[in-house]
Amino acid sequence: MKQVGIEALNVYCGETYVDVPTLFAARGLDDGRIDNLMMARKSVALHCEDAVSFAVNAAKPIVDALSEQERAGIELLVVGTESGIDFGKSLATYVHDHLGLPRTCRLFETKQACYSGTAATQMAAAVVAASPFPTTKALVISSDVARPVPHTYVEPSQGAGAVALLIGDRPTVAAFDWGANGFHSYEVMDTCRPDPEAEAGDVDLSLLSYLDCLKGAFADYATKVDGADLVETFDLLAMHTPFPGMVKGAHRAVLRKLKRMSPPAIEEDFARRLAPSIEYPRQVGNIYAGTVFLALASAIDNAVLDREKRIGVFSYGSGCSSEFYSAVIGPRSQRTVRGMGIQEALDARYELSVAEYDDLLRATAELKFGVPDFTFDLDRFPQITGARFADAGRPRLVLEAVRNYHREYVWLGGRR
Amino acid sequence: MTHDEIFAVIRRNLIEVVPELAGSPITPEQSMRDLGANSIDRLDVVIAAQDDLGIKVPASELAKADSLGALSRIFSEYVS
Repeated sequence: MKQVGIEALNVYCGETYVDVPTLFAARGLDDGRIDNLMMARKSVALHCEDAVSFAVNAAKPIVDALSEQERAGIELLVVGTESGIDFGKSLATYVHDHLGLPRTCRLFETKQACYSGTAATQMAAAVVAASPFPTTKALVISSDVARPVPHTYVEPSQGAGAVALLIGDRPTVAAFDWGANGFHSYEVMDTCRPDPEAEAGDVDLSLLSYLDCLKGAFADYATKVDGADLVETFDLLAMHTPFPGMVKGAHRAVLRKLKRMSPPAIEEDFARRLAPSIEYPRQVGNIYAGTVFLALASAIDNAVLDREKRIGVFSYGSGCSSEFYSAVIGPRSQRTVRGMGIQEALDARYELSVAEYDDLLRATAELKFGVPDFTFDLDRFPQITGARFADAGRPRLVLEAVRNYHREYVWLGGRR
Repeated sequence: MTHDEIFAVIRRNLIEVVPELAGSPITPEQSMRDLGANSIDRLDVVIAAQDDLGIKVPASELAKADSLGALSRIFSEYVS
């Protein structure tokens, strides 16, 4: 059996952010709740960005680094999203085009709330594992743009971001443990996007479902992996992180239940095995399909990786489907992922005032789902985009127009 | 087990999770949200109370509770 895993990983979390304590103050929210969220900043999409442009911007550095021959080996492109733009035509078609991928390629979109990226990744790993050809690779991109619900406690965590993974048989970033996958899925109405502009849900039910799934998916994992133990088997953990406080709460609840650990022991375990994974989510917010991979990238970049370590990964998508699996990461993973400059890109985002953030939300809402024609004013926020989009070293794809339902994108900064 | 006894178990766990509530009136008409418990606190309370009562209630049932009294009534259906 081939060893399959992640060959390259990159993240694109937008050009702007809003400071979470500042947003709390502006909205008149109870700042006692900030500790519960454990959020510092959240990424915000520009009015001319959508899940397609986010996906392309995340994957472009990975694709650009490939040789012609390696690029030709990409036989599968899957985009996991809950920010779809058409009921029939998948947004993977646009992504495929703007990344210049070969036509000898399958492409489609997956949907299962925040699990869609994991679903895509596991299907991609299976395709690579089953291929008789050593050149076969797959590109999986998890991409979502929130529709924030102003003046709620959910708003401060609703972010925007995409994570691109190149799946192949030279797993420099993370080698999947073959067959070590536990599942737990059932119908529940916890959170959903019932129309193109709304996110709805029941936070309490979602937390309970998440916890049920963490226990259930790990229990299934443990039936497949002899001697698996949630504490002893994994040096690190990366979990779906709608907000870091939720991961902390779920970790505490599950260790108290399964291991009868004391509160100080649980706190120590969280600091040692989970804290590295929440650093990027703290700075970005919930990016839905990509959140679990943002946590994985965060763990790889921020943990002490002086030797090979096993990481347990838990993905949850409301509705619901979940998976617990594991992978091996090491010093080479860290060198590779740090080389993508994720932290540097997060630090380079433009800080929005709350007034600018509200302007941006209004501008974004002008493009309604299903509108046949629309033209974007790319210079509408010159104070944000002027210098950023003139930077020849950082090409960015943005949405320029919709003409007869077709989305037209343009590269800014690089080759225009 | 009576409703009052189940309510006492929930109340005790709520005070353990949100110690500031000790000494405050906590009535069945109130919700944990009204009492200032955040989402993670609420999760902790329902999990710990179920453990103490030795029951396992499906999440979709728990989500129907809009007050502490409603939560004790749901729990009572599972207590033998």
